[in-house]
Amino acid sequence: MHEGNSPARLKKVFTNGLISDNPTFRLVLGTCPTLAVTTSAINGLGMGLAATFVLICSNMVVSALRKVIPDKVRIPAYIVIIATFVTVVQLLLQAYIPSLYESLGLFIPLIVVNCIILARAEAFAGKNPVLASGVDGLGMGLGFTLALTLIGVIREFIGAGTAFGFQVLGSSYEPMLLIVMASGGFLTYGLLLGIINLLTESKKSHRQKEAE
Amino acid sequence: MKASFRGGVHPAHHSKRPTRYQPIQDFVSDTVRIIMSMHIGAPSVPCVKKGDQVKVGQVIGEPVGALGIPVHASVSGEVVSVDKISYLGAEPVQCITISNDFTDTWVELHPLGSVEHVDPALIVPAIKNAGICGMGGASFPTHVKLSPREGQKCHVIIANGAECETHLTADHRLMLENSIRIVDGLRAAMRAVDAEEGIIAIEDNKPDAIAAMQKACHGRENVRVQVLRTKYPQGGEKQLIQAVTGKQVPSGKLPLDIGVVVLNVGTCAAIADAIIDGRPLIDRITTVTGAVAQPSNLRLRIGTITQDIIGECGGFLDSPGKICFGGAMTGLCLPDPTLPMAKSTNGIVVYTPEDAASVEEESCIRCGKCVSVCPIGLNAFEIKLAADKDDIEKARRLSVQDCILCGCCSFTCPARRWLTASFKMAKQKIAAKDKAKGGSKK
Amino acid sequence: MSLIVSTAPHVRSSLTTRKIMLNVVVALLPCAAAGIYYFGYRAAIVLAVSMLSAVLSEFIWQKATRQRVKISDCSALVTGLLVGLTVTPTAPWWLVMIGSIFAIIVVKQLFGGIGDNFLNPALAARAVLLASWPARMTAHIAVTAFPGVDIAASATPLVGAEASIMQLLMGNVPGAIGETCKIAIILGFVYLLLTETITFEIPVITVASAFVLSYLLGMDPVTTILSGGLLFGAVFMATDYATSPMHRWARVLYAIGIGCLTVLIRKFGAYPEGVTYAILFMNILTPLLDRMLPNRVYGHSRKKEAK
Repeated sequence: MHEGNSPARLKKVFTNGLISDNPTFRLVLGTCPTLAVTTSAINGLGMGLAATFVLICSNMVVSALRKVIPDKVRIPAYIVIIATFVTVVQLLLQAYIPSLYESLGLFIPLIVVNCIILARAEAFAGKNPVLASGVDGLGMGLGFTLALTLIGVIREFIGAGTAFGFQVLGSSYEPMLLIVMASGGFLTYGLLLGIINLLTESKKSHRQKEAE
Repeated sequence: MKASFRGGVHPAHHSKRPTRYQPIQDFVSDTVRIIMSMHIGAPSVPCVKKGDQVKVGQVIGEPVGALGIPVHASVSGEVVSVDKISYLGAEPVQCITISNDFTDTWVELHPLGSVEHVDPALIVPAIKNAGICGMGGASFPTHVKLSPREGQKCHVIIANGAECETHLTADHRLMLENSIRIVDGLRAAMRAVDAEEGIIAIEDNKPDAIAAMQKACHGRENVRVQVLRTKYPQGGEKQLIQAVTGKQVPSGKLPLDIGVVVLNVGTCAAIADAIIDGRPLIDRITTVTGAVAQPSNLRLRIGTITQDIIGECGGFLDSPGKICFGGAMTGLCLPDPTLPMAKSTNGIVVYTPEDAASVEEESCIRCGKCVSVCPIGLNAFEIKLAADKDDIEKARRLSVQDCILCGCCSFTCPARRWLTASFKMAKQKIAAKDKAKGGSKK
Repeated sequence: MSLIVSTAPHVRSSLTTRKIMLNVVVALLPCAAAGIYYFGYRAAIVLAVSMLSAVLSEFIWQKATRQRVKISDCSALVTGLLVGLTVTPTAPWWLVMIGSIFAIIVVKQLFGGIGDNFLNPALAARAVLLASWPARMTAHIAVTAFPGVDIAASATPLVGAEASIMQLLMGNVPGAIGETCKIAIILGFVYLLLTETITFEIPVITVASAFVLSYLLGMDPVTTILSGGLLFGAVFMATDYATSPMHRWARVLYAIGIGCLTVLIRKFGAYPEGVTYAILFMNILTPLLDRMLPNRVYGHSRKKEAK
């Protein structure tokens, strides 16, 4: 990957995070919040956006300070930066969206140790300019949000018969409670991963055939 | 108490019925083809040439090496040819064809007298000179079995009359009709190695043989009959030793290391013939059964051609699908009915095309039956997985070398998987790899 | 003359996969019959739906994934029947159908099909149904041999309803379709033993260890083993080939684990019944048990094995 802030590269960095290196479905990072908070679409979306905010900010700050931070203490330094933004998010949520803050609970402060954020700081922001790092944070964050929302929508739909809190299926629908339990999270995540692998595999073999 | 071992199966128990009550009949054909490597060890070297006149019992193949035994003419007549043929999948072997003149002229024999009075030092050489090798199927030279190395001492000799294989009744008939000779041979072997005890082990599905052998043991020193539970592979050397003595042969060791020698009852009788009459091994009893018109137990001259034998038994019932030497569990398939039987051929079984139709492997259902029937206690399921992936090092770690190829796992597998065949391949690959390794080290 | 040359053995046992599965179906017939006798046409509908949807979903899956269709080995039929027998007779058709489809597609086929599932498909499906629709799954009804008679909701003996030992044996109590009639289960067990489909160790040790532990914990051991699905689970679920250990001592430990866990869950857990979870838990441990306690190889010393 070549250095720099060219628009073509920024676009590539962005789509990379959103789709081809999607943190949830391709890198399988940050599975703990993925499984825990996706019991509803709103929770998934909220968690995703909170993480996106932290990711963009921490990526940019890490990138800006990348020449200042000594190599040996970089991880603690990253954690301090990340923790700062997590605290910001936590306080903002508590102040303005208390209901979401309630339902996400412990998982907000736990964003600090979310693998995706630390991984991007280490793998990307520590080596790239500020703008590219910000775009990478945005792409990865939105990819994470997209995945969490998708899982949340599916689990909420099957497990409660609603979508974003609105009743979709008639009252005669008896929700499948398992799906909103922890094991249901594993099931949904596993099946989605399987489907996505299947799709990319068939795409790959399709391309190979065309190349031949 | 009936002795036994853990694991095992009960295959085709009706298969012995047709020949069980068939007395042994003699059959001498007009041509014999005698193979030079009927035993484990270096092949013998032909010492006659085309056109020579030979007598019955004359040495026609000289022994080579420590495991070598001589080969004798089984009929009198003219040597028609000395050539190489391919025999049962192994490398081409030398084969002497003799045309029988039906005069049955014997060479001069040198009897040693009664087994109780013969000089024990003369017994093992006599066994070697008579060309005796294990007649139960393994064909290991008997004189080697009876020659303990430094530090080994044979305490018990077991005469193996279990005959756990399907179809075969040759040993059964021998025990009924020639019980005294078996005890004589056992006594001779015991005296040769100064063994304290001789045990004749027989499965409980042959009560008449048990009675006959008990009668023959009466009044003889230190010999007795041990009744075994009927179960395959009760007659396998390792299983037999465990059932009779309660001891296990350590992996990679020989029975002699724990003071035991196992001899087939047919081998015992051949030993008695060699001592009492001075007669070399020129015939044996073979069960011919399956899809033939008259299933029989025949006393055959070594080297009798298979299709002549089947002709003697009234011919094939149908067009044959498969002809095997030995029973259904371990038998070797014969590619060509013009090949002759050998010293270890205890049975010839003809299968109809329907019985011979190959079975297709299905998905393993992990029933674990292969693991529970394995008489060695191997994890057959895992070994099969490893063998299918050609991971022979894993197969080695799972002790595939200890597999005795009894066939229990394949027999019992409901998904019809070829476990035994895979294990045989894995064992061969391991042996080849070790050989290559050893070669490169040198 | 062309002769077939193949490796030994030249004879195979008559017990094929298909035959084994049919043996299980036959062994389950008394249970199904008792269920239909006690719970009427509803039970028959449940069983029909469960079997049909199991076989159909396997067929459609194998067609869709371009595999060889293997429904003729009857394993899907067995799974379907087991799903049906472990739900309550009041279960609606869609519930049973979801159970069967889940068992076949998610638990069995996604993990590689017959022999490769790590959980008992029917039991995993039952656990899913129980967690998803707890009210539906525990809506037990009183026994009635006469369809059309009013059916009253009722509690199973596990949650305190009184039942004599005779009632428990005959299955004259509320419960899942197949699990109530112990006589039918024992008949099935004997049939499976006689056909050499299963061996006695796992069911007998499971029940015996449940008996002993419940006695030690001050429960009534006879009621413990005769109520709920313990006997049914021990005979038909714990003995599932792919998910039970192969090695002798591993089997023993597996069975003890099921018996003890069942009693512990019943006594201390939140659920009145623990057989399902006990068996599923031990299913997961199966590969470890096999590795931990392999059969001893002939001629190898124990010490060498430990290395």
